[in-house]
Amino acid sequence: MAGFPRHWDFDEVYDSFDRGCGDFIIDLKAVMADLAAGAVVMIASRDAGAPVEIPAWCRLTGHRLLDAQPPFFLVRKRDA
Amino acid sequence: MSNTFCVTISECKTNGDKATLGFVVANAALGSDKDTMVFLSADGVWAAVQGEVDKINEGEPFAPLKELVEKFTNNGGKILVCSPCMKKRGLTEDRLVTGAKPAGGAALVEWLANGSPCVGY
Repeated sequence: MAGFPRHWDFDEVYDSFDRGCGDFIIDLKAVMADLAAGAVVMIASRDAGAPVEIPAWCRLTGHRLLDAQPPFFLVRKRDA
Repeated sequence: MSNTFCVTISECKTNGDKATLGFVVANAALGSDKDTMVFLSADGVWAAVQGEVDKINEGEPFAPLKELVEKFTNNGGKILVCSPCMKKRGLTEDRLVTGAKPAGGAALVEWLANGSPCVGY
């Protein structure tokens, strides 16, 4: 995958391509479920709503948005 | 913040766009760790009927309704179907998709009265 910030450090990559809203979020939940607590995932989403959607999803779930440079988002899985 | 969420859907054959959007948002709620219930009433009951849900496909960027419904139930989402609305349409429980069950208005009222936010389509 090209274009993401090279200084980002992460354990997993999830590319949703241009899918957005619930179609994307329900799959993202499954991705996070497979990660260890504290693991960092780099999410790529080219949906126009992603810059609003992903921060909202983080606030709802307790995962931490570490950085955002759309279409790339760096998220740390919550501890518990 | 409430840990539950509700989506009511009252159209399907009459407006496949609304049924599709309802399940997209329900999947967003489920994916955001909300215990989520979809309540189907009026024409919306068709979204939980085997053979009928297959007929709704709004096209890109939306997945077919059947796929959205299956993703919802496979991830633990609840679907309640208005029982008098089923009866009016000659539908019986054996025609519902896996994970959907008939219910009356009290089940919806109980879910909401316990503090669940709700959005309607």
